Amino acid sequence: MKRGAYIVIVFFAMVCMALSASAQKRSNLVMGNDKLTLRIDMRSSKAEVDSLLKKAGLKGASAAAILKGDFSALQKDGWTTAAKRGNIVEFDRPLENLNKNPQSQPYLITTKIDRDDDESPGYPAEVTYGINNFAKVTVHELPSGITRFFLPGYLPNKRALLSGNFNNWSTLKGIMAKTDSGWIADVKLKPGKYEYKFIVDGHWINDRYNNLVADHDNNSIYFRYNYTFKLNGYANARKITLAGSFNSWDANSIIMEKNGGGWQKQLYLHDGTQAYRFLVDGKWITDPANPNKMQGEDGLTNSVLNLGETVVFKLDGYTDAKKVQVAGSFNNWEHGKIPLVKTKTGWAVSLIIPPGNYGYKFIVDDNWMTDPKNPRNMVEGGVVNSYISVKPNYTFKLSGFNNAKSVHLAGSFNNFDEFGYTLAFDGKEWTVNVNLKPGKQLYKFIVDGKWMIDPGNKLYENNQYNSGNSVLWIE
Amino acid sequence: MPKFCLLVLFLFFCCFDATGSERMTIDGITFKNAKPEADPSPTGDFKTLVIPIKRAGNLIVIEAQIDTLEGNFVLDTGAPYLVLNETYFRDMPHAAEQESAGINGAAENSFTTYVRNFNILDLHYSKLRADVTDLSSIENGRGIKILGLLGTRLFADFAVTVDLFRNTLYIQKLDENGNIPDAEKVFHDRFMVSPFKMLNDVILMKGTVNDNSLWFAFDSAAETSLLDYRRSKKLIPDMEVISRSKIMGIGGTSIEVIYTRFDNLVVGDRKYMKNRILITNLEKMGNAYGYKIDGVLGYDFFVRGIFTINFVKKEFEMYIYNNQ
Repeated sequence: MKRGAYIVIVFFAMVCMALSASAQKRSNLVMGNDKLTLRIDMRSSKAEVDSLLKKAGLKGASAAAILKGDFSALQKDGWTTAAKRGNIVEFDRPLENLNKNPQSQPYLITTKIDRDDDESPGYPAEVTYGINNFAKVTVHELPSGITRFFLPGYLPNKRALLSGNFNNWSTLKGIMAKTDSGWIADVKLKPGKYEYKFIVDGHWINDRYNNLVADHDNNSIYFRYNYTFKLNGYANARKITLAGSFNSWDANSIIMEKNGGGWQKQLYLHDGTQAYRFLVDGKWITDPANPNKMQGEDGLTNSVLNLGETVVFKLDGYTDAKKVQVAGSFNNWEHGKIPLVKTKTGWAVSLIIPPGNYGYKFIVDDNWMTDPKNPRNMVEGGVVNSYISVKPNYTFKLSGFNNAKSVHLAGSFNNFDEFGYTLAFDGKEWTVNVNLKPGKQLYKFIVDGKWMIDPGNKLYENNQYNSGNSVLWIE
Repeated sequence: MPKFCLLVLFLFFCCFDATGSERMTIDGITFKNAKPEADPSPTGDFKTLVIPIKRAGNLIVIEAQIDTLEGNFVLDTGAPYLVLNETYFRDMPHAAEQESAGINGAAENSFTTYVRNFNILDLHYSKLRADVTDLSSIENGRGIKILGLLGTRLFADFAVTVDLFRNTLYIQKLDENGNIPDAEKVFHDRFMVSPFKMLNDVILMKGTVNDNSLWFAFDSAAETSLLDYRRSKKLIPDMEVISRSKIMGIGGTSIEVIYTRFDNLVVGDRKYMKNRILITNLEKMGNAYGYKIDGVLGYDFFVRGIFTINFVKKEFEMYIYNNQ
């Protein structure tokens, strides 16, 4: 082939590449000439337009509407139509706002920009269940219930630490003791999922004998168990597995282990109601030791397990009522009304409820009422309900306001709702128990309508109203 | 305070080199051109101190102790010295009030204090000047308890190396020539070196964008790099936008920021492509630093390699990851 023809072919190939590159970039967002320019190719898919709108910071805009030619959302955000060429619609937006509101420190801007991942790495989200997977067991429970972490080897090193979400990833606490075969540390853990690492002479290392590794930072994962499934008999069965609502009825993942005269499996199971069955050599059975059963959606009968705190709901009197029920945010209100049983003096029922803060009401012959014995309330959907905290981990206290008519608690845990949770006066101080997530919480008291920071808490920070919020860290 | 003491104090300050432009107010009297007493040098029995880094977003967090209080501090080369969070330290004794546009910027109620017995593992500071200011925006933005910021003066005698791949910080003592002793060198594959200036205890590095020379502050607490809008539009006619967002400023004002990508940033002897940088107004930040700056090199820049800041030789270096 002649050199000239070769060059022509190469040139032709390059032109084709350039064309296809520009075809891929039909929609885009660029800045220049003191303006932002948004080009939308009307042949784009909804998903493509969605991602473009997200880039442009247009949160409320609908891609479907824009593809139909409705650009009102763009206009509302200050964009003006600049040009229309074929299928491409072009919008401009002035950039002078960029010069407004200068900040004095980079962190005042950069820490406020949302990251794509909402979760905080290293602090595992709640899971329905979990089973450990060790190549060699390095973490186990002592008879006392304390959890022991073992780091084999590293004997020539000076210092080893255990760091995890259970000690806020401390790099100073969690000092491990040297033994003749490695390092140990004992930690008191509640049932749940944990992430951890070791720090040896300043260097992070994960537990190489632990096969469960988090998606980020190679953290090792440990589940502190709280439940053992047991199935007696079936000595001749070859394989028994456990499946339930907690593992989306996966019949292959949880294999029961032979133990003496039966089978068992220990695991971490989250609080709440779970349905389950055993699969014995390919045949489904319910748990013969559990009388609590329920028909599943597939027509099969399931065993049912309730894990959580037992809460007794009691309503004195109303002995002439035909029926009394309780409903609350713990059981989906209207759809989960639960009957109370008549007693000598009134009505009662005990329920197992996962930890949290809830509103509830009694329903006496179809009349909804707050609990007359409970002085604490909260508001949900504009309605005042009785307030209960299951497994509370903090008590808010306010003293010195003996003559106040009402005290409310508003904070980051209830969206600073003006009604918040009411505190009750016990003759000495105002109190309310709350179940709070680990981390930082901001709050205020509202005493007879007046917002105030907690006079009993030295920690507070400024807020946008320049009036301050009290600061509380839950470990 | 008795007048006699004030007089002694005044004379005391007059004895110092008065070339600085710092003002400070003690008991209502403003001292112009008064430089505070330098903190005593830190001590520690080590050649290389290895400190585990905790990450919060893109912040570099290490634990330190003030007396017996342990907690998280952000490594912040954008801060001149130790800065403490007002939430936990507002009861510290006031050594001086800061002017509202003080070196630490926004906080209206910041004041200066002195802390005793500050420890970063084996590194011991007997006395340190510290500003107490509101750092709640960092805590609330990143969901981590922050006791303070570790500014540059804490490391003035050392070389500091940050390995974000292994989350390890090295604080190293230097030899008489200001170098890390050969036996103590952890990383060897250097791919970039740049001198820097220390002005008002802030690291300033020269860079070029499309052949225009710019001054960048190097700020290890900036979770993205930043470029001044007015400067950027002259340098880069068209920039690809990664995202546009609005954030809340102090007092609830809305601030528009645009995150962009551009090529051809040269720092030191190295050209960096595909740079992510946030475009905003840096005028006030320049005031806080005491110098007009064109940009801030933050996480987007320093994540590209293991970096060493040699505060004695005033040299910034980058090393390739996975080179141990």
